[in-house]
Amino acid sequence: MERLSSLASQLAPNEASASEKLFEKHPDDVVIVGAYRSALTKGGKGGFKDTTGADILVAVLKGLIERTGIDPKLLGDVCVGNVLAPGSGVTEHRAACLLAGIPYSVPFLAINRQCSSGLMSVDHIYKSIRSGDIDAGIGGGVESMSFNYGPNSVSEFSETMANDSEAKKCLIPMGITSENVATEYGITRAQQDEFAAASYQKAEAAQKAGKFKDEIIPIKTKIVDPKTDETKEIVVSEDDGIRGGVTPASLSKIKPAFRKDGTTHAGNASQISDGAAAVVLARRSFAQKNGWPIVGRFADCAVVGVPPELMGVGPAVAIPAVLKRNGLTKDDVDIYEINEAFASQCLYSVLDCGIDIKKVNPNGGAIAFGHPLGCTGSRQIATIISEFKQYKKKIGVTSMCIGTGMGAAAIIIAE
Amino acid sequence: MYSFRTSGFNGYAVQYSPFFDSRLACAASANFGLVGNGRLYILGLSASGIVAEKWFDTQDGLFDCAWSENHENQIAVATGDGSVKLFDISLSDYPIQSWREHTREVFSVNWNLVDKTTFCTSSWDGLVKIWSPVRPTSLSTLRPHASQLSCTYSASYSPHNATMLASCSSDSFLRLWDPRTGEFPTSSVYAHNGAEVLSLDWNKYRPEVLATSSVDRTIKIWDLRFLGRAGGTTTGSPVNELIGHDYAVRKIAWSPHAPELLLSASYDMSARVWEDSSALKQPMQLSNMRQRGPNTGLRAVWDKHTEFVVGCDWSLWGAEGWVCTVGWDEMVWVWDVRSAKLQG
Repeated sequence: MERLSSLASQLAPNEASASEKLFEKHPDDVVIVGAYRSALTKGGKGGFKDTTGADILVAVLKGLIERTGIDPKLLGDVCVGNVLAPGSGVTEHRAACLLAGIPYSVPFLAINRQCSSGLMSVDHIYKSIRSGDIDAGIGGGVESMSFNYGPNSVSEFSETMANDSEAKKCLIPMGITSENVATEYGITRAQQDEFAAASYQKAEAAQKAGKFKDEIIPIKTKIVDPKTDETKEIVVSEDDGIRGGVTPASLSKIKPAFRKDGTTHAGNASQISDGAAAVVLARRSFAQKNGWPIVGRFADCAVVGVPPELMGVGPAVAIPAVLKRNGLTKDDVDIYEINEAFASQCLYSVLDCGIDIKKVNPNGGAIAFGHPLGCTGSRQIATIISEFKQYKKKIGVTSMCIGTGMGAAAIIIAE
Repeated sequence: MYSFRTSGFNGYAVQYSPFFDSRLACAASANFGLVGNGRLYILGLSASGIVAEKWFDTQDGLFDCAWSENHENQIAVATGDGSVKLFDISLSDYPIQSWREHTREVFSVNWNLVDKTTFCTSSWDGLVKIWSPVRPTSLSTLRPHASQLSCTYSASYSPHNATMLASCSSDSFLRLWDPRTGEFPTSSVYAHNGAEVLSLDWNKYRPEVLATSSVDRTIKIWDLRFLGRAGGTTTGSPVNELIGHDYAVRKIAWSPHAPELLLSASYDMSARVWEDSSALKQPMQLSNMRQRGPNTGLRAVWDKHTEFVVGCDWSLWGAEGWVCTVGWDEMVWVWDVRSAKLQG
């Protein structure tokens, strides 16, 4: 039996650490072939104010196909996240695929898990490739808040539902959930303003340094000049929500938006914006066979539920969940892209996880350049891929809170 | 591809004959080598597939075999009871020699490719022994300089130098020896950071290069010119690492045809073919040592085995790329790495 124990020792758990394991390459890995986005523009007044979400999506899909050099015939599925359009844009976004040159033989799926929709679409393609159903696909997200933002995006609750103490929490406005998080966990106005100002400053510096150039696909579109009512052609290639010279002091003057004694205001919450982003994923062996570029690997994605009235804490639960599942610690991760729905919830999540704040949103976040709801999940992947190159980093986590009480987090590896 | 079933015996090692292009030897053990008999198969590659031309049964399990380099019918085997046996395949039933010196399982046997008159064995008793087929006792014993001897899983002669030999052990060390002195290893490298080193092989084209494989699932490529010395231990970094197996890598073999190709057999039930990028570049390009780009080197995966893959060898003959793998699933597979490619 001595022989058995000797042989058994050869099967002992290996010494390689979990973070080292992440860099292993297997033919059945799901890799990121390319990830790009449009510029994000101000809802109602920015560069895309007169461009429908579907049209932004067409341009992003075209640019994505062109830049990655893939043959769209080889795609097995396209999945696009959207929150506000009727039916999550299922009809017009299928049409957008056709207009973008993706043949009718490639199916289309609209997906909606609120603010994580752009990540869920990518996760859906990831899982379809993992399961062997398809070899490659596009996951993306798009939102025109100029066209679709408003009270019509939620259908009325029935009496029984509206009177149920738990169910009715799903109707709590997002701003109030932010106030709830701030009150519950003692995140002060000063802390939120400091976090928000940092987002603006990072974004301003990144934009000046041209750090968004690689991830943004410039889009030619038409815009109606509000003063002259004249329609003119423009090229939208830069985020137009980034404001220069924002400081905690300048933010401290803004009045709270949701409660008189509240702490959340227009300057420390995400902007209402328009934009689209999309990611090509493929099985490694398939990408290699077709000579497609490989810029990263989509490693895992976890979704969790949290109380609807405190929906902003989603990342604080989702990030540890996805890390634990992969045997990683918070310090193994180089870059965190966490959606800044509100300074309150983003900062709380960072503090609760014990993440080094220097690793969070190095080029700024949604407070500075906007949060087109369905687009954000895919946008953060495009950003993380280009940040890997800029900062020479390897392990990224993207995460966001989700309205009605959820959180999502995914691990992305540079290649 | 061709296959053969070693019914009732779990394969441990396989080797192509250096004399006949259609002959293979396979060392196998009953009950996964834990207890029971061993069997040495002499297999023929025929038009109708692989046939067992002959077999020899042994009292205890067989863990390795090595064809003689100067006698086409002789083959040495490593036995679980500590004995080393030499068979003549033109005879039947019994070995022509049996040496009993190792005190524990003999785990590897390797013939000297340069001088051809000697072979070496390594054992779980920690020792490496040098033998001649015509001598009744071993010629010399190589003893690692350690307070407690650990299993020496493999020992192998350099194919370029008759007086250079390497061994690897469960204490994570790769040791280099000059069998003429034998007193101490000429170098000891702490190769796999504490994990057991199960296999090693010398590159057939680059005299300074050898590879080790380990329980840590990695294969490391070493260039002996880049090893330094600190205290009594040689230090150094591998010039390349091949990462991808999910479990311990049990056996590795460099291609006899190309300096960059390496075959590996693993407990993850796969055999893989790797391209060692360090063979294709200037050796001092440090930035390339641990490439993580899309071309990290995995060239083919063989996933037909349904149990641990423990033995592998390249054919010296015919079209370049034919290999043989053997595993605990009682299967011997002969396949062409050029048609295996990356699966999925």
